[in-house]
Amino acid sequence: MNDLEISDEILAFDPETLARIPVRKSDVLAKFAAASNRRAVRIVQGMADRDDVLDPDAVDRRLVRVHCEMQRVSEEFQHGQRVAEILRPVLEALRRTGVPRPMRLVDVGCGTGYVLRWLAAQGDLGDDVELIGADYHPALVGEAMRLARLEDLNASFRVVNAFRLDPPATLYLSTCVIHHFRGASLDQFFRCHESPETKAFVHIDFQPSPIAPFGSWLFHAVRMRDPLAKHDGVVSAIRAHPGSELLRASREGASGFVRAMYGTRMGFLPIPRAFHSLIGLRPEYRDAFLQAIGPRRSRLGAWE
Amino acid sequence: MILLLATLYVLASIDAAASGYAAAAGRSALIRKGPHYRRAMLRGFFAGQVTAAVSLTLILTIVRLSPDPSALRSDIARVALRMLQVYLPFATILAGAFALRTLPSVDIRSLTSTLVFGPLAGIRPLVGVGGLLWGVWAAPRVEIVVGGAVLLALWLSLERALGYFYRAGEVV
Repeated sequence: MNDLEISDEILAFDPETLARIPVRKSDVLAKFAAASNRRAVRIVQGMADRDDVLDPDAVDRRLVRVHCEMQRVSEEFQHGQRVAEILRPVLEALRRTGVPRPMRLVDVGCGTGYVLRWLAAQGDLGDDVELIGADYHPALVGEAMRLARLEDLNASFRVVNAFRLDPPATLYLSTCVIHHFRGASLDQFFRCHESPETKAFVHIDFQPSPIAPFGSWLFHAVRMRDPLAKHDGVVSAIRAHPGSELLRASREGASGFVRAMYGTRMGFLPIPRAFHSLIGLRPEYRDAFLQAIGPRRSRLGAWE
Repeated sequence: MILLLATLYVLASIDAAASGYAAAAGRSALIRKGPHYRRAMLRGFFAGQVTAAVSLTLILTIVRLSPDPSALRSDIARVALRMLQVYLPFATILAGAFALRTLPSVDIRSLTSTLVFGPLAGIRPLVGVGGLLWGVWAAPRVEIVVGGAVLLALWLSLERALGYFYRAGEVV
C-alpha cells in the first residue's frame, strides 16, 4: 500500500539527541520498491547521494523548497483562519479561568512555521500568548526563523522536542502533522500531552473521505511543481486518520482531557470538510470554552 | 472584427497577468505576499502585451499576404466570435469564483479553491485548445488553423516562460 511519505523516509533524527542520522538511499529505495511505489522510487533515485548516503544538504534544500510549495495548501485552505477560529475561544476560556501567563502556544512539527507566522502577523491572539514553533529539522526551523525575521514577526522557532520544553506548553497545536504518527506512536504522541501545565490541544489534519484522494491529487497535480510535493501531498490525504481514531488515541493517551472533533461537515450539509480538528481541553475549561465559542459550537461533535 | 479582437485581447491580458501569478505561486513562503504577487502579475501583464503585439503582427501579416484579404478578415471575425463563446463563459466562472472569494468565509474560500480554481486551472490548456478548435471549425482555412495554433502555443507557454524568471529552487 502506498502510504509512505518520501519526506518521512529521507530524513531521520535521533529522538533523544535530535542528531541527524545518515539515511541510506538503497534502504529508502528498497522500502518504496517493496510497496510497489514506482513513482516514489523514481523520485528518490533522482536524489543526490554520497556513497549511498543521501546528501543531507541536498535533502534540506529540497525539503525547504517543498515546504514552500506546500504552504499553498495552508494558504488556500486558510489554515491560519481555521486555527485562529478555534484558538481564540480556547485562549479566552483559559484566561477566564485564571491560567498562568504568558500562555505558551507550541506548534508541534511546525516545519517552516506558516501557521504561527500567520498568527503573529495578525497579532490579535493577545500579548499574553507566546508563539513557539518546534521541529526536529534544523533546516526547516532555520527557514521559519529567517521568514519570521524578514517580516518582523513575534514568533520563535526551535529545534527541539515540543514535549520537552521547559516550561511545557499551555496549549499544543499542530496542522497536518498528526498523520505522521502511526500505530503505537499516535498513542504515545497523546501521552506526551499529559503534563499538568498543559491545558489544551488543537490538532488539525486532513479528513479522510471517499473524495479526499481525488481532491488531493487534483489540488497537488495542478499547483505543485516538485514531484516530491505532489507525491507526499496526496499520500498525506490518503493516510490521514479518521476522527474516530484520533478520538480513540487521545482518549487512551491523554485521558486527563475531554475531547471532541470540530468542523467535520459543511454546516448541515453531509459534505465532509477537507480538514477536521481534534480539540482537547482539561475538563474544568470546557464550559468556559463552550461559552466563548458561541454559535460555532454547532460545529463540535460529541464530547467524550 | 476590432471589437472581437479587442475582447480577446482583454481576456488574454488578464490571462497573462494570471499566468504571472501562477508562475510566482509557491515560490515565496512569506505571509505578506502582496508585493511578490503584484510584481509577478505586472510581469505577466507586460509579457502578455509583447505576446499580443506578436499575435497582432502575425494576424495582420497573414491578412496582408492573403489573395483575398476581405474574405480572410471576415473568416477571422467568425473564428474570434466562436472562440469567445468558449472563453467568455470560462472567464465568467472564474470571475464569479473570485467574487465569492471576497466573502469572509473559510469554507467558501476553500470551496472556490477545490471546486473552481483547481479544476479550471487544470483544464485551462484544454479550454484554450477547445476554443481554438470550435473557432476554426467555422472557417477551416490553413492559414487560420496554423496561425491560430502558433498563437495559442505562444499564450499557453507564457506561464512556463515566466517561471524562468525564478531561479531553479529559489525560495523568496
